[in-house]
Amino acid sequence: MDYDPGLPPRDHGDSNDPNPSFDHGPVAAEIEGSSNAEANHQRGRNGRAPSDLCSGGEIETEEEEEEEEGFRSPGNSGYYGEGEISSALARIEEVDDGRNSAEIWARWKHHSNEDDASASWRKRKKHFFILSHSGKPIYSRYGDEHKLAGFSATLQAIISVVEISGDHVKLIRAGNHQVVFLVKGPIYLVCISCTKEPCEELMGQLELIYGQMLLILTKSIDRCFEKNPNYDMTPLLAGTDLVFSSLVHAFSWNPSIFLHAYTCLPLPYATRQAASAILQDVADSGILFAVLMCKHKVISLVGAQDASLHPDDMLLLANFILSSESFRTTETFSPICLPRYNPMAFLYAYIHFFDVDTYLTLLTTSSEAFYHLKDCRIRIENVLSKSKVLIEIQRSILEGGLFVEDLPFGVSLQSGGVDAKMSESLSSFMGLGVPGGLWHFIYKSIYLDQYVSSEFSPPVSNSNQQKRLLRAYQRLYASMHDIGNSSHKTQFRRDNDYVLLCWITPDFELYAAFDPLADKVLAVDICNKVCQWVRDLENEIFFLGASPFSW
Amino acid sequence: MGLSSTTTVNDGIQLCIFDLRRGQQEGQELDKILFFFPAECPFSVQLSVIGLCEGIITFTRIFSPETACEVIEAEKHSHVFYQAEPDIWMVLVVEKNKDNESIWRCDSLQSILKEVHSLFKMFHGPLRALLDKQPSGELTRSHLYSFITDYLTDFHVGKKIQMPSFRDCLRERGSVQMLTISREVALEVQSLITVIGSSCVGNTACNSLVLFQDLLVSTTLSPDDTANLFTYAVLRLTPHALSSNTNSWSYLRRGTSSPNIAAASTVTNAGAAEENQNRSRDTSPGGQSQRYHIQRPLQRDKWCKGKDGFVVTDVPCAEVGGFIPLAPIVWLQQTEERMYLCVYQHKNLTIVLLIPVSSLINGEQGVALLKKQLLENASEKIVTVEQKLSRSWGGENAYHVSGYRYLFVDRDRNVSRASPPGKVTTLTKDSLLALNRLREEVDLEKSRAKRDDPDHEKDSEVCIRAKNNAWVIAKITGGRELYMVLEKASETLLYASDALEKFSNRYCDGAFSLD
Repeated sequence: MDYDPGLPPRDHGDSNDPNPSFDHGPVAAEIEGSSNAEANHQRGRNGRAPSDLCSGGEIETEEEEEEEEGFRSPGNSGYYGEGEISSALARIEEVDDGRNSAEIWARWKHHSNEDDASASWRKRKKHFFILSHSGKPIYSRYGDEHKLAGFSATLQAIISVVEISGDHVKLIRAGNHQVVFLVKGPIYLVCISCTKEPCEELMGQLELIYGQMLLILTKSIDRCFEKNPNYDMTPLLAGTDLVFSSLVHAFSWNPSIFLHAYTCLPLPYATRQAASAILQDVADSGILFAVLMCKHKVISLVGAQDASLHPDDMLLLANFILSSESFRTTETFSPICLPRYNPMAFLYAYIHFFDVDTYLTLLTTSSEAFYHLKDCRIRIENVLSKSKVLIEIQRSILEGGLFVEDLPFGVSLQSGGVDAKMSESLSSFMGLGVPGGLWHFIYKSIYLDQYVSSEFSPPVSNSNQQKRLLRAYQRLYASMHDIGNSSHKTQFRRDNDYVLLCWITPDFELYAAFDPLADKVLAVDICNKVCQWVRDLENEIFFLGASPFSW
Repeated sequence: MGLSSTTTVNDGIQLCIFDLRRGQQEGQELDKILFFFPAECPFSVQLSVIGLCEGIITFTRIFSPETACEVIEAEKHSHVFYQAEPDIWMVLVVEKNKDNESIWRCDSLQSILKEVHSLFKMFHGPLRALLDKQPSGELTRSHLYSFITDYLTDFHVGKKIQMPSFRDCLRERGSVQMLTISREVALEVQSLITVIGSSCVGNTACNSLVLFQDLLVSTTLSPDDTANLFTYAVLRLTPHALSSNTNSWSYLRRGTSSPNIAAASTVTNAGAAEENQNRSRDTSPGGQSQRYHIQRPLQRDKWCKGKDGFVVTDVPCAEVGGFIPLAPIVWLQQTEERMYLCVYQHKNLTIVLLIPVSSLINGEQGVALLKKQLLENASEKIVTVEQKLSRSWGGENAYHVSGYRYLFVDRDRNVSRASPPGKVTTLTKDSLLALNRLREEVDLEKSRAKRDDPDHEKDSEVCIRAKNNAWVIAKITGGRELYMVLEKASETLLYASDALEKFSNRYCDGAFSLD
């Protein structure tokens, strides 16, 4: 087993050539050797992408509202795997050398034939760019970064012209387009979007992209630019395209992005307790965080005393793990940085998938803890198997979460003083199979930093409709939270697409979507019932053992 | 150079107009500047502001060729863009102070640019036509300089210029405020209009606007022309505008005297002449420094009411015998016709009469004759109508609705009605901020919907219970918009909806009601 004191290589090709000038904080220990069956350390950038993420790729259809449709949202079943994608994958399969395959993959998915002169590139609905303060491109969602050097220089020029005048540009709006700027020391991030997302949300997404970059490199990257303003950072992020692509995709399906909260896999209280108990048991032996997750949903998590895990860090960590196929096939020990926990330092993550969806992450500050963490994992796995936790997890995945159709409303509506008109409206909506015209809801517990979202039901059935609803929630969220640190209390919004209701109290936030013709009084009543329902089920849908995050 | 360096020499605002078809050669850049406020700003600063704006316009066209840049939001400044005419841009730069008062809606600032351009066009015609007429641009610059400088005096608060902020969120610039009149009075007014209309010589009918106080009673013009002339009348012609040099726009600044405006305007005017000479040296060597007669229709104290009841301009109030007062000429957008602007005032009634220039062969003398004719034919009716309107006039708070603070806008007719300014000031800052923010959201959604599907109007309703427990409401339906704030309201959504419904039924002909 070798320990490489250099910067963790970003793909196989780089591992022999770590940039010698890179002076990062903690030394990233890496256990080399893919032949080592026990400690097969990989960064997950060996050229293969997980089927559920890469399979959709960046297919874009003009009639779609957005361009990330190709990706599959967790919770959806079935994968894309046809046409262009399969032929691209076939090409990747054909290449033995990991580096080459990574390049092919990156070239294919990146629309690298495009640049700022291409009509197709200009028509993309949402661009993300990372560039250095000297104008060197670091990342572009579409097109080859190198071909976009001129465009990148333009972005840099805009930022610096305004900076020279002693100001900082935040937003440019032109028609349906918004250009949002975020400056983080020597790193500039820019989003150009014609989606209907509010500027504040796009800014939050840039923050997350920056966080994802820190997760891979830590903030000590700034020092490279101090030494050499023209430093070229692209090699450091080589092969991480999928990590960023899947994060960008998450912006259009994952409510965690704008809620800044995480969600749990629904489980019987006793099952979650059993999982938590064994995690707690191992956490006492020098582990900083132990997290058991199923896709993007938390099963249980335990932190060392005084250590809390920010929901954004959990999101970025899960995205990093889930967007790399290699994590699924081998147990992995990898340096990662949790930007909200400590942006300057690497932690070390032991990652192991129990099955295709369920994985354990053990985080420690020690670069030499692999075998200890491996032992811990074996103990955890034994307990989870014996106590049938893994079986319960599978059952929960199959059953899904909360369905609005299951909302218990009948009894209390009859006894709750609902008038005849309301009963009439209720029954007319019941014809659609959805009580009171309720289509969907999200309930966030402020104290727990967790949310629960109902499963999508008709008529919000296809991914475009789901994305449109999520965007509507995003706007509602931004509209409710805009004023300083405080928020509005209630909002009722009716347009041609939905009736949206938001209710914020010191304990929770509720976002609910109804049929656009829904009755106002009835909608309010349904919201009350949703809150009651969630409270009745909180032992199963929330993880109650966590201490609140101190942020 | 740049934004911050300019803040020391102005009031926190910059306003520039530039033409992208000019000054594209290196060394000729100054030629693209048609107007810059403050004029004393060094050329280097003017060029850097315009350079940034031009750069951003070019940049945004990459992605949005149809609608180029509308706003740049930076930490300390907002740049609000308006493309007044093809390739002619107006940009307003406002500074964000830390006093928390500098929160505004982009649309509200843009409407200032629209307003000043519309008014300019009404008196001087399109900028492009002026530039074509005199390609050196000197004439255009001189006209713009005096016109916009005069216009900006309305935003003076003390020595500073203050742009409308969130506190003005229950007003709609550019719209017309109407007086509600009874059927009986309406008939009287109609008969007066007929008499006025027939005052014209030959078979051409005169157009007219009738105002009572600062409210419109009737118009025979198209909505756009009505809005322009109404705005102008309220700014400079109504008894209120004539009697006070105060700002007629914002209730916040009502009552502030501005004796130094005239002085300031003279000073800057002197600066302008020098500026223009400098510019002509800089941009068109060998160019003549020709002096033009600059009509200044927005200059304060330019209008005064004569003994005969006519409000005239460019003439001393003590009329010198034999001097014929000039009647300004305006352009109508609708008919592209030039009209003499003739204003008659009786007590609180102001009649704006528009006489086609083409109908009067002997020009000014024809106007004088027509005035005489008007007095003979209509003075009795004018007195009657004024009396009736005065009698039914409910005073400053006539349109106050107890418990409500509201703004109603009818986009199709370009008409608005709002709670009296004095009542709006009773709202808390939190309520006004919440409504301002809501209006901004609605503005964005409206303009997006308009771009995406111009033929289909999107209806919407938003009721927000703000942190201070006020209900802040916006309802858009069929081209009509209603914004309201209900403080001291009950906490249920149903209460807020009922309040909206009652208001709609009683004051908006049920336009916003569910049934």
